[in-house]
Amino acid sequence: MMKKNRLLGDRLVIGVAYVFIGLFALICLYPLILTLSVSFSSEQAIARNGYSIFPLSPSVDTYKYIFVNSGMKILKSYGVTIFVTVVGTAGALLITSMIAFSLSIKKLRYRNTLAFICNFTIIFSAGLIPWYIVSVNYYGLKNSILALILPSIFSVWNMFLLRTYFASVSPALYEAAEIDGANYFTIYVKVALPLSKTALLTVGLMYALQYWNDWWHALIFVNDRDLFPLQYYLYNILSNVNAISSGRIPSGASGNITLPAETVKMAITVITIGPIIFLFPYIQKYFVHGIMTGAVKE
Amino acid sequence: MNPVGKGFLYEIKKNRILYLMCVPALIILIMFSYIPFAGVWMAFTDFNVVDGIFGSKFVGLDNFKYFFSANSMGWKVTYNTLYINFFSLILGIIIPVSIAIFINEIRHKAYKKIAQSMMFFPYFISWVVVGAILYGIFSTDVGVANQILKFFGADPISWYSEPKYWKWIIILSSVWKWSGYSSIIYMAAMANFDASLYEAAKVDGASKLQQILHLTVPMLKPTIIVLSLLSIGRIFYGDFGMIYGIVGNNPVLVDEVTVIDTYVYQSMRTLGFSYSTAIGLFQSLMGLILITAANQSAKKINDGEGLF
Repeated sequence: MMKKNRLLGDRLVIGVAYVFIGLFALICLYPLILTLSVSFSSEQAIARNGYSIFPLSPSVDTYKYIFVNSGMKILKSYGVTIFVTVVGTAGALLITSMIAFSLSIKKLRYRNTLAFICNFTIIFSAGLIPWYIVSVNYYGLKNSILALILPSIFSVWNMFLLRTYFASVSPALYEAAEIDGANYFTIYVKVALPLSKTALLTVGLMYALQYWNDWWHALIFVNDRDLFPLQYYLYNILSNVNAISSGRIPSGASGNITLPAETVKMAITVITIGPIIFLFPYIQKYFVHGIMTGAVKE
Repeated sequence: MNPVGKGFLYEIKKNRILYLMCVPALIILIMFSYIPFAGVWMAFTDFNVVDGIFGSKFVGLDNFKYFFSANSMGWKVTYNTLYINFFSLILGIIIPVSIAIFINEIRHKAYKKIAQSMMFFPYFISWVVVGAILYGIFSTDVGVANQILKFFGADPISWYSEPKYWKWIIILSSVWKWSGYSSIIYMAAMANFDASLYEAAKVDGASKLQQILHLTVPMLKPTIIVLSLLSIGRIFYGDFGMIYGIVGNNPVLVDEVTVIDTYVYQSMRTLGFSYSTAIGLFQSLMGLILITAANQSAKKINDGEGLF
């Protein structure tokens, strides 16, 4: 009788596990499907029936409409985002991995001092305004593509993650290379980097995602429409919609703004997510692997 | 062995390649973190552009006093920041830990894999996209939430003009976005648990629930504590991108969801640089105190290993 109860209890726990995980997974993906299906619905059907998880009278008219009307603007934004992502990620990986490698070499005497210089910026910062004034008045980052790249090109967190990987490489390998006459830069390029591919990929993906999804640097630094990254382009469309749907913006002001149709908003959202939709199941695998190995200490 | 010969310059020269490799990162830190420290002086002045940062009139702590005076939003935004962060933190532990524990019980590999991919999706999208999705759920005429209300015969709600719901919409969005990602860290910790403990428990007749409550949860405790401490250390910081991405420039909702970070940005335009700098400094100081305390506690719990 006891045993029977226990088995029943175990089954219940397992059942709850299946239901909980299934439900949460659905909640996570549901909005994506909603967005996709609205973007492929016809505008009239959405106005009549509201948002729906199945495309209502399916059509690609919205996408055609967008590319005819604002195709150039979107392409430009795509260009800005891709440029920023590619250049930013490449630069960030180079800068981050070089210092991470150096700080992983135990015989470097000032490595703790340097690590502290990095750490301190996590613990204490001057705040938004001094940072903004210095960036605009002294570095001239207003309306510059560098404003979208430079401020986030080095993340101390990612550096420490990479350093953990580099530190796990056996020092004997480095010593052997040193005896063969290699200097530390050669060792970094030829030994350390190839041995840390998983870590570099994980950190590279983190940087790439950060650049792809970044819009607040654009909010702060960029007025020039030609420099709008994708996410900021979408933000501009949506923030007008939100403000007007609150009903408190004076009608005179809202009269000048034409609200994009529901399907247009969702189609632009899909375009903004872009390659991530197709890539995320593959990228996700590397992420899980990379974070798992990074989080587990030997 | 002359100690001078082994001094600073000698070390730099000997390992010059390694030190050179640190230079680009250090330049970025100096440019964007250290040089701005000088600007903190603005918090104690009445800044005007003509006289510059160091020529403007010194006013002592006036800007800080104003922040906490009755006619400023100081208390309100501090409350909002702490409220949103506190509940995000609690749910941000419970849900990822539950995910990790439950996913461990699932035997069907495909189910596990697909569910995990789906849960990871929110991590990949920007807050602006989250904002667009929330619009699809909460917009008055076509949104899904009102369709559901109508289905049950309730009156539709005009969500975007009702500030009282938005703290929780933001909290739940944040939990939704990070849970799949955070659960991986707990799963990594669980992968390291000693399997023989579970075998022994099974032999002793422990049920699944007992194994979870008396083995898994206690062994996860150190990880949970360290991650919570880290969040507590950042409890005075709001997520600027999250708040602005979700709420945008909606004037009605702003009052309820303005956190310190967004308040600094708004004040910059209306109340001036000095005042905004003072708020930023207040935030950094509170953060410094909390994060140092959190680090000390983490060291105690985690065998001398701190958060950083």
